[in-house]
Amino acid sequence: MKIKITISLLLFVAISILLLDGCKKTDALVYKPTYLTFTIPNGWPQPATNIFANNPLTEEGFQLGRKLFYDGKLSKDGNFPCASCHQQFAAFATFDHDFSHGFNNSFTTRNALPTFNLAWMPLLHWDGGINHIEVQPLAPLTATNEMAETLENVLTKLKNDAAYPELFRKAFGNTEINSQKMLKAIAQFMGSMVSSNSKYDKVQRGETTFTATEQNGYTFFKAKCNACHTEPLFTDNSFRNNGLVINTFINDFGRMKITNVKSDSLKFKVPTLRNVELTFPYMHDGRLYSLRDVLDHYSSNLITTQPTLDPLLANRIAMTATDKNNLVAFLRTLNDTTFTKNVRFSQP
Amino acid sequence: MRKIYIGVLFCIIVVGFMQCEQTNDTPTPQQGTIRINFKNTVKGTPLVLNTGSYTNANGQAYTVSKFKYYISNVFVTNIDKSSAESGSYHLIDQANATSQSFSFGANVEQYSHLNFTIGVDSIRNVSGAQTGALDPLNDMFWTWSTGYIMAKLEGNSPASTQVNNKLEYHIGGFSGVNSAVKKVSITLPITAQMLNVRSNKTSEIFIEADIDKWFSNNINFTTEAAIMTPGVLSKKIVDNYINMFTITQVVNN
Repeated sequence: MKIKITISLLLFVAISILLLDGCKKTDALVYKPTYLTFTIPNGWPQPATNIFANNPLTEEGFQLGRKLFYDGKLSKDGNFPCASCHQQFAAFATFDHDFSHGFNNSFTTRNALPTFNLAWMPLLHWDGGINHIEVQPLAPLTATNEMAETLENVLTKLKNDAAYPELFRKAFGNTEINSQKMLKAIAQFMGSMVSSNSKYDKVQRGETTFTATEQNGYTFFKAKCNACHTEPLFTDNSFRNNGLVINTFINDFGRMKITNVKSDSLKFKVPTLRNVELTFPYMHDGRLYSLRDVLDHYSSNLITTQPTLDPLLANRIAMTATDKNNLVAFLRTLNDTTFTKNVRFSQP
Repeated sequence: MRKIYIGVLFCIIVVGFMQCEQTNDTPTPQQGTIRINFKNTVKGTPLVLNTGSYTNANGQAYTVSKFKYYISNVFVTNIDKSSAESGSYHLIDQANATSQSFSFGANVEQYSHLNFTIGVDSIRNVSGAQTGALDPLNDMFWTWSTGYIMAKLEGNSPASTQVNNKLEYHIGGFSGVNSAVKKVSITLPITAQMLNVRSNKTSEIFIEADIDKWFSNNINFTTEAAIMTPGVLSKKIVDNYINMFTITQVVNN
C-alpha cells in the first residue's frame, strides 16, 4: 500500500512539473548558445571595462564574428574584408606595408595596427578616436579609402545571404540581422584575440629562460622603455609625441584631431610591442622599416624641437650598438606563434 | 484512499496553474498616455525641405535639405510629481513624418513642465553598438571619433563659400565644455492648461522647433557654413538651438 501511495505521489509530482513546464513559452527553434569564458592571463591586470558585459561571449557569436571578419561582403567591391589589412601571420597588422590598400587602388593614411589584446585598450586607433570595440568596425567599413561600403548595403547583403540569417539566429536567438548584432559578433571575435604565449611569457611563467643577450635586452628595456611600453601589455595606452618629423603629404596631427586640444598635437597611441617583429613597418605612418630603424630613431634621429615632445624623450635614449643588439633579441621574444597560428582565429 | 489521491492531484494542478499567473502585489498607479508632436518651422511657417526658401538675421538666403535631431530622456513634472518615459530615445527627422510624434504611458496627474534632453546622454556614447533610434544606420553617428551627432542641419546658401554653397551643421560631442548634450525644461504655456493625464486617455503636447533660432547671435553663412566637429563654434550653435522649442498647444482628453 505504501509503495502504491509513493508511486502515485511521484506520478502527481511528475504531472505537476509537466504543467509548470507548460507555462514557459516554447520557440519552434531552441536558442541554446554555448557560453564562453574570457580568461585573463595570469599576472595580467583586469581590463578597465569588461567589453563583454553587454555582449555575452558565446561560441556561436564568436564564430559569426569570425566569418564576418573574413568576408569580403563587408566591403563595396568584395575585395576588402577586415582580414585584408589585418592578417593573422602579421599578428593582424598588414605585413610589409606602410599604408594598407583600400577600395579603388587607394591607400590608407595610417599604418594598420595589430588587433589583439583589445580588451585592455580603452581607446582604439592611433588617435584614440574610437571609445568602444563594438563601434570600431564602422570606421574602416565606411571609409572611402578602405572598405568603402555603407552600413545599409552590408546589412542588405547579409540578409540576402543563404547562410547568415541562421548564423545570426544561433548567435543571438532570431534571424533578424541588424547593425548592433553584426557589430557585437565582430566584437566577440576580435575581443577574444589574446596574445599571451610568447617566449617572454614562458620565461615569466618559469617554463624557459632567456639567453644572455635576451636577458641583457630585457634589463635595458625595463630601465629605458618600460615607462611607455609597460609590461605585461607592453603599452600604457597613452598618447605621446615621439619626435617624428611631420610628413607634409599627410599632415597628421594625431590625437589633436579628436580632442581639439593643442597640447595633443602630434601625439599618437603608444602601440603594444607584443609580436612587434611581425608588425613592421613601424610608427603611425609606417615610415620606419625595421626594429633597428626604430632604435636608431630613439637613440639618434628623433627631433627634440616640437613643443609636445614627450618629456621622457627630451634627451633621446642613449644606446650603444650592443644595447641595440640586445634589445632586438629581447623584442623578438615577444613573438607569439601560438597566437599567429591559432586556427580559432584563422579564416573559417 | 482514491479520493485523497484525486484531491491531492487536484491541488497540485491548481497550484501548478496558479504559478502561471503573474502576481503583482504592489498597486500600480492609474496610467494615461502622453503624446508629443513635433513640428519643424522657420519663423512660424512649416519647414519644407529643399524647396522652401528662408533668410537668416544677416539677410542671407538659405534652403534646408536635411533636418534631424535627437530628443531623449523625456519626462513631465509638477512640483513633486514626475513621470518619465522609459528607454526614451527619439530621432525627430523632417524627412520622416512618423518620427515626429511619439507616445508614452504616464501616471494620472496634472503636469506643468515638459523636460527632455536634446541629444544623447554621454553613457550611450561610450557603450558600444546600439539599436533603434540610436542605430548608426540613422546616419547620426561619427565613425572617426565615436559619438552621436546630436542634431544635423544641411542645406545651401548663396552666401556659403563651401563647395556647392553648402551649409552643413553636424553638431555633436558629449563631454567637456563644448558638450552638445543639453537638458531642456519647458513650462507649459498657460497654467490653466496644465497637461492633465487621465486614466486610459491620451493627452497631447504640440511643440514647434524653429530653425531660425539656430542662427541667432549673428551666425554668418559666409564664415560659419560648415561645422563637423565639436568645439567652440559647435557650442555656439548648441547655445542657439536649445531655444528653438515652443509649446504651442496642449490638448487634454
